[in-house]
Amino acid sequence: MERTLFFSGNQAIAHGAVRAGAAFACGYPGTPSTEILETAARLEGIHAQWCVNEKVALETAVGASLAGRRTIVTMKHVGLNVAADPFMTLSLTGINGGLVIVSADDPGMHSSQNEQDNRAYAKFAKVPMLEPSDSQEAYDFVAEAFALSEEFDTPVLLRSTTRLSHGRGQVIRRVPVVLEPRDYARDISKYVMVPQNARLRNRLVLERLQKLRARAEESPLNILEAGTADVGIIASGVAYTYAREAFPKAWFLKLGMSHPLPYRKVARLFQQVSRVAVVEELDPFIEEQVRALGLPVVGKEAIPADGELDQDIVFRALEPFLSRRPPRRRRPVFPPAPCLADPPQPAAGLPVRPPVLCPGCSHRAVFAAVRRHKLAPMGDIGCYTLGALPPLLALDSCLCMGASIGMMAGFNKALGRKGAAAVIGDSTFFHSGITPLVDAYYNEADGLVIVLDNRTTAMTGHQGHPGTGLRADRSQGPAVDIQKLCEGIGVRCNTVDANDYSVLDAAIKTESDAPGLGVVIALAPCVLMVREKAGEIVVDDERCNLCGLCLDVGCPALARGEDSVAFSDVCTGCGLCIEVCRRGALSYAGACGADSEGEGAR
Amino acid sequence: MNGTTTVSLVGVGGQGILLAAAVLAETASAEGLDVKASEVKGMSQRGGSVLSTVRFGEHVWSPVARHADVVIAIELLEGHRALGLLAHQGTLVCAVTTRIVPGSVLRREDEYPDDLPAAAAARGVKLIAVDAEALAREAGTLRAVNVALLGAASVVLPFAAASWQRGLAAALPSKILEVNERAFALGRDAVSSEEVGP
Ligand code: SF4
Ligand code: SF4
Repeated sequence: MERTLFFSGNQAIAHGAVRAGAAFACGYPGTPSTEILETAARLEGIHAQWCVNEKVALETAVGASLAGRRTIVTMKHVGLNVAADPFMTLSLTGINGGLVIVSADDPGMHSSQNEQDNRAYAKFAKVPMLEPSDSQEAYDFVAEAFALSEEFDTPVLLRSTTRLSHGRGQVIRRVPVVLEPRDYARDISKYVMVPQNARLRNRLVLERLQKLRARAEESPLNILEAGTADVGIIASGVAYTYAREAFPKAWFLKLGMSHPLPYRKVARLFQQVSRVAVVEELDPFIEEQVRALGLPVVGKEAIPADGELDQDIVFRALEPFLSRRPPRRRRPVFPPAPCLADPPQPAAGLPVRPPVLCPGCSHRAVFAAVRRHKLAPMGDIGCYTLGALPPLLALDSCLCMGASIGMMAGFNKALGRKGAAAVIGDSTFFHSGITPLVDAYYNEADGLVIVLDNRTTAMTGHQGHPGTGLRADRSQGPAVDIQKLCEGIGVRCNTVDANDYSVLDAAIKTESDAPGLGVVIALAPCVLMVREKAGEIVVDDERCNLCGLCLDVGCPALARGEDSVAFSDVCTGCGLCIEVCRRGALSYAGACGADSEGEGAR
Repeated sequence: MNGTTTVSLVGVGGQGILLAAAVLAETASAEGLDVKASEVKGMSQRGGSVLSTVRFGEHVWSPVARHADVVIAIELLEGHRALGLLAHQGTLVCAVTTRIVPGSVLRREDEYPDDLPAAAAARGVKLIAVDAEALAREAGTLRAVNVALLGAASVVLPFAAASWQRGLAAALPSKILEVNERAFALGRDAVSSEEVGP
């Protein structure tokens, strides 16, 4: 028989992840979470890396998950604040390979600046929360978490606390889970969270929460344990072990999955006993929900709302309450499932008018080029997110500000080759694109980062940013040079004129094929700030066969006419359509009029 | 609804919907009425459909409303779309010569709707069709399409000329005030003569 192991909760989580088939682990060190990743880094079969911070770690993990790998990301409780931006929207996009986020909370603040209870994040993001209570459960629950993640298409939070992470206990190994990596399939409606997609995903999240609650009712993670006393205790995590030791004869509802709460299981406990207490560290997370069912419990009026618990505290706190006369029996009132707003309904029979990139917008050229090369373009947030919409369909993801680079790095690392690029605007790059670039360099991730440098924060109305030096009061301050910044990090970087399509395309091709990490800065001021027309475009009706190549770049100045394409007066003369036409049908007026005359035959 | 009038302004991002709404709100204020306005800024301003709502009356509670008494549409397709916003017997003031063709129509995947008069009649909506582009051009700048149309709509709105004057002055930057005043007057004249009865 196999030897019983003696693992800390953190070691158990790492071993449990490998046993569950996780291939990718990342995180940022923070007590009490640190040893999870340190352990994973010593194990076979899993890639483990420190990231520059928790936000980048989660975005990297999302990239690895998109690449089809089961992925675990670790951090301490306050780290999830840093990662909250990707986390909240990840709930909407869901995952590809299972994704488990470990939050190690620190009741008592042994080594922390606060003692926030991260179960609130599960409720906030509407994702499941698992709370193991000892090392064996820590080991086992990781596999449960991955299975839930993939079944329900959701990230799963696994909460440890200092006593679990740093306490030790026996662990029996289980048979490893064998799985094939999932393939990556681009799915713009699922992964690009522009408003029209996010609204629909959000409805799925609300429905998913109901399904998860039904699962919590049946799940073997939530066990009703019979006792002999007329007393019941609801508990999760290590608090369960304290309560169990303090009240050995009580009935227990042990919640391994504390969110969403299984209401009916709670009610069943109330059918067995006349007095019920909730034992939980920090916030009355479970207690408030039980009270909302109309069921009388003893909770934070007896159990301290701050610091750690132990069996003595629990015993002393509850003993007087539990020997009192039981409260009157009440019937639970289960909250009904929430209704949803009427789904958005476009006016029947009328063409929709989604926002589009302006005519002459230099981003369009980048998308035209990116589409030609094979990398999956991870997107970011700005006007250029519109590049994900038809007809361009040139972005695979949009999660949160600055997510593109970390996602690209995680995707490529997990895949073991250059499969994704990142597309990020200049202002977004300063917002939170620098840290993941540092991270990608440090972790030697392959990738191509395209910085769309249009010298402004265009989407929100042309505000300045550190790259332009323009400040809120329109005064000019010093400007940060993106190219030098990249080079200072140590990353290969090239600036090209985004209005020169052939040069841009060549630079993107070169970097797509080159090994390692490179940045291409596609520089061209936002066309709304330029305003003068670069030239008049003319169509050669003979040559244009309406193949639609130029229409596919989605310029609002270009229309499908009767016999050839047609231009409207919003054309800025940027010339992109000239470049993408393969038949030489478009040209600047006066530039090659001679060419189109008499030489029609080709 | 209990003494509150709702006017919705629709068009395409970049057409000056928000400015027209500001003029309207300032005008209602100048009449001594309570006013609330709301619009959604952001992504839609990049050439998407834009909706701005102005509500006025003795006391206005909500800043939004599902139905409008009057819709001012600065673009023809958006005028079609806005029929759904209008209560029966509502009025649609539409710039019928202004067409901003969306991408799917440019690529001929969709068709631009025609016959707004019929669509409006079918819904029992009174249509005031205005060639606002011509009026704006006559006033001196195509950019004043929004205010020319507002001038046309002023005929069905219960405000004194002096209040409009004050509304325009309050909402518009001084360097474009004059041309917009011209556009407004042209819009008002274009309608009052023919379309609106006593
Ligand atoms: S040159 Fe072509 S792509 Fe550029 S704005 Fe004009 S029509 Fe659009
Ligand atoms: S790409 Fe060239 S040939 Fe094709 S539709 Fe456009 S102008 Fe005509």
